[in-house]
Amino acid sequence: MAQYRTQVRIIADVLTTAKDNNTEGTGVGVTTLLRKGNMSYARFSKLLSELVGSGLLVELDGDKISKYIISQKGIQFLNAYNAFEDFAQSFGLRL
Amino acid sequence: MTTQPDMELIQNILQFIGVFVSFSIAYVAYRGVRQTESSSLLRLATAFIFLGFGFLIEGLVGLGNLVVLPISTTEVVVGGLLLETTGYFFLAFSHVVDVLISKRLGAALLVFPVITLTSTQLADILSILSFYFVLYGVVETVYSYARTRKPNTLLIAMGLSLIGVGTFFQWLSLLYQYVGVLSLLQIILQEMGLLILFTPVLSFAVGGSKVNGTV
Repeated sequence: MAQYRTQVRIIADVLTTAKDNNTEGTGVGVTTLLRKGNMSYARFSKLLSELVGSGLLVELDGDKISKYIISQKGIQFLNAYNAFEDFAQSFGLRL
Repeated sequence: MTTQPDMELIQNILQFIGVFVSFSIAYVAYRGVRQTESSSLLRLATAFIFLGFGFLIEGLVGLGNLVVLPISTTEVVVGGLLLETTGYFFLAFSHVVDVLISKRLGAALLVFPVITLTSTQLADILSILSFYFVLYGVVETVYSYARTRKPNTLLIAMGLSLIGVGTFFQWLSLLYQYVGVLSLLQIILQEMGLLILFTPVLSFAVGGSKVNGTV
C-alpha cells in the first residue's frame, strides 16, 4: 500500500539521495533526485529551489546540467531527522 | 504499616516524578519540532506539556493537603484533571492524525469512546475520558510496533498500558473514595508507565551527542 509522506520525510529522502549517490564527489543530477523524490517535476523544482535557498543542498554549475551536493547543514539536518524519527517511532508516530 | 500522611507523601513524590518525566519528553519533542518542523512531534510535545502541568497541579494540591496550604479546592483538582485529560487527548489525537494521513483505517477507532456515562461528576468524566484516550494510544502503538518491530515502541505500549490501568484506578478511586489504596495504586501504575515512557528520552540523551555535535 502506498504510504503518505510528510514534507519533512520528502526532504529527508531527497537529501539522503543527494548524500548516497554522490559517490564520485561530482554531485547528483536532477533526474536521479527526481526519481528518488518520487513527485511531479513542477513540485520537485519548487522543492529543489527551497532546499538550495535554505542551504541544505548546494548547486554545482556543470557544463550542461546542474548537479547538487548535500551541504554540511543538510547532513546535520539528516542526522537530526534520523534521531527524531527514532524518537517519534518509539511513540508509534511518524515524523 | 503505612499511615495516611505517609501515603499522601509517597503520592506527591510520585506526582512530581511524573512532572519531571512529562516535561523531559516534551522538551525532547520540542527540540525535534525546532529542528525538523515535524507536526507529529509538536502534538507529542503539546500532549506532554499538558500532562506535565496536570501532574504539577495535582501534586501541588496534594502538597497543599499535606502542609495545609489554602490551595486544596475541588476546582483546582478538576483543573489538574482537565489538563491531564487534554494531554491524553493530544496523545490519542497524534495517533488519529497519523491514521488519517497514512490513509489506513485505525482498527482502534472501533474502541474509541463508546460508553454510557452515568455519573455527572466532571472528575469522573475526565478520568474515564483519559482512560479511553490512553487505551486508544495503546492500541495504535501496538499496531505501530507490528509495523516497525522497534523494541522501544513495544516498551512505550507497555508504559501506556500501565498509565491506562492507572487512569482506570483513578476513576475507581473517585467512585470508591473510602478505599484509599486505589489512589495510591493509580499513582504507582501511572508513574511506572511514565518512567517507561522516559526510555526513549534516555536513549535519545545517550545517542544525543550525535545530534548535539552536528546541529
